[in-house]
Amino acid sequence: MITATDLHKEFNGGAVKALRGVSLTIKQGSFVAIIGASGSGKSTLMNVLSGLERADSGTVVACGQDLSAMTDKQLNEFRREYVGFVFQQYYLLPHLSVEKNVRLGADLAGNKNYLREIEAVGLADKLKAMPSALSGGEQQRVCIARALAKKPQILFLDEPTGALDESTGRSVLDYIAKLKAERGFTMVMVTHNRNIADMADSVVEMNSGKIIGVTDNPSPKSAYEIGW
Amino acid sequence: MVIGIKDGVKLFGISVVCFCAVFVCTFFLNYYIDAQAIDGAVSGELRVLYDANMTSAKFTCAITGGVLCLIAVVMTVFYIKLFIDGNAKRFGILKAMGYSDNKIALSFWVFGLSTLIGAAAGYGAGHAIMPLIYREMTIDGMPAIAINYHAELLAALVVAPTITFSAFACLYAKLSLRRNVVSMIKGGKAAAKSKRRPLDKQHSFLAEMCLSTLAGKKSVVFFVAFACFCYSAMLQMGLTMSDLSSVIMGVMILVIGVILGVTALFMAITTAINANKSSIAVMKAFGYSDKERALSLLVGYVPFALLGFAIGTVYQHVLMTVMVNVVFADVKTVATYSFGVGYFFITLGTFIALYACAMAVYAVRINRVPIKEIMSNE
Repeated sequence: MITATDLHKEFNGGAVKALRGVSLTIKQGSFVAIIGASGSGKSTLMNVLSGLERADSGTVVACGQDLSAMTDKQLNEFRREYVGFVFQQYYLLPHLSVEKNVRLGADLAGNKNYLREIEAVGLADKLKAMPSALSGGEQQRVCIARALAKKPQILFLDEPTGALDESTGRSVLDYIAKLKAERGFTMVMVTHNRNIADMADSVVEMNSGKIIGVTDNPSPKSAYEIGW
Repeated sequence: MVIGIKDGVKLFGISVVCFCAVFVCTFFLNYYIDAQAIDGAVSGELRVLYDANMTSAKFTCAITGGVLCLIAVVMTVFYIKLFIDGNAKRFGILKAMGYSDNKIALSFWVFGLSTLIGAAAGYGAGHAIMPLIYREMTIDGMPAIAINYHAELLAALVVAPTITFSAFACLYAKLSLRRNVVSMIKGGKAAAKSKRRPLDKQHSFLAEMCLSTLAGKKSVVFFVAFACFCYSAMLQMGLTMSDLSSVIMGVMILVIGVILGVTALFMAITTAINANKSSIAVMKAFGYSDKERALSLLVGYVPFALLGFAIGTVYQHVLMTVMVNVVFADVKTVATYSFGVGYFFITLGTFIALYACAMAVYAVRINRVPIKEIMSNE
């Protein structure tokens, strides 16, 4: 479970108020989509919830630990232990093969069966391929395998389909949803696409650094049922 | 202007290398030209000393000038490639708008300005130290050698290198800009040709990261080895020269060695860190510790640093043997040379201490690489 209480975050000496009193609870094993327009504060919220950056004030308690009271080193250890990331721009290491990129995550968790993750995302035949030889969808799937190989309790996804076409985007979302159903990790996805949010258990809508609505979704749709 | 003057003068390393090369060449060549005026008045034992002095002036100029010029060329190539990779999107947009490769490449002339700054400073410093050098090289009983100004040296050591390096920068940029416009706009770098055989899967991610960092930037490996080579060779040579020749010459060589070594190491490791910023940021996001991140990037250079040090030791020994036992073989006043074991250990000790300090400083820099800024900038 993640509990955020009264989070505030400013940039540029207060000129930009990215978070203005955000409070939020995310249940263990749920899929939460954070939506909002550009500049609404959704990415900042994700960064604060995942321990990538600190709020100026307020508290975040995740996996029973108070992130707001942690040192940089402790935050690093928290991310190492509990968190996985899937970034919009992939950030694969360009000089390493698919297999070695996935080991970036696997080695942290001592996961010797990391090949399973690569098989799960359908890239078993591309183990030795370099990122430059993969399509955008395949690179994103490597990213997902890398994040899942470290067996995270919480998976943060920042616009995971933002750089993908519809067909590839649906296939990537389908993979993620299936893996989540199998493994039961908590999933927090930032997206500006309201249709994708239809897949989530609950949708958090943000505007100007504030949460303007939290909607529970009793019947989440599959990746092939949502609009695009 | 496609590239600003500021970009052109940022090549601090090239300025330092040019400074060192031109500094040494200026006073030695000036001495060589001026000393020819007394050629007819020298005979007997003095003749041997005179010839040895002239040979050593020529020899030092050729070696220092040649080697440092080559290093400056490699540095220029290295920097321009990085500059184009780092600004691929910008150049891609210019190309898409209709700018030709030639037009963009011509604006790279500004990279010659670093050569101009270094060469002009070296030329000035060479002239400033000239009276001292002439005094050191004066042989008892020989007519005094007057310092004269030679405009041709200014042309050869300052003007010509600046023009040559500017032209070279344009030419290399033109070749480097031959890339697909779309991939440049997408910020794509030139395709990496990695022929390294993948390691057995028993190796950890960190070991792979370490090896791929080395394989991905061979020029950095070269510069780390070169930095250690310079430090090792010139420090030992400087200490030996203090005994054999004069303290001034020894100190001069020693200082140049330290400057060159530190500059090359600084440039190389800074480049390695800049080139791997996004990888470091991803490792940080995933929770790799400060130590793991720093080691994966820096530890691979240690064997090459030691190799550079060893080659530098052998090089200076061979050079000193040749200089003393061949060039000055007939000169009775020059002491015999043998390998300075004490100097070797002094150099090794300071080298290990300096290298460890440099790596510690860079480890801090690596750990300060911000995750969010890098990811939002890309």
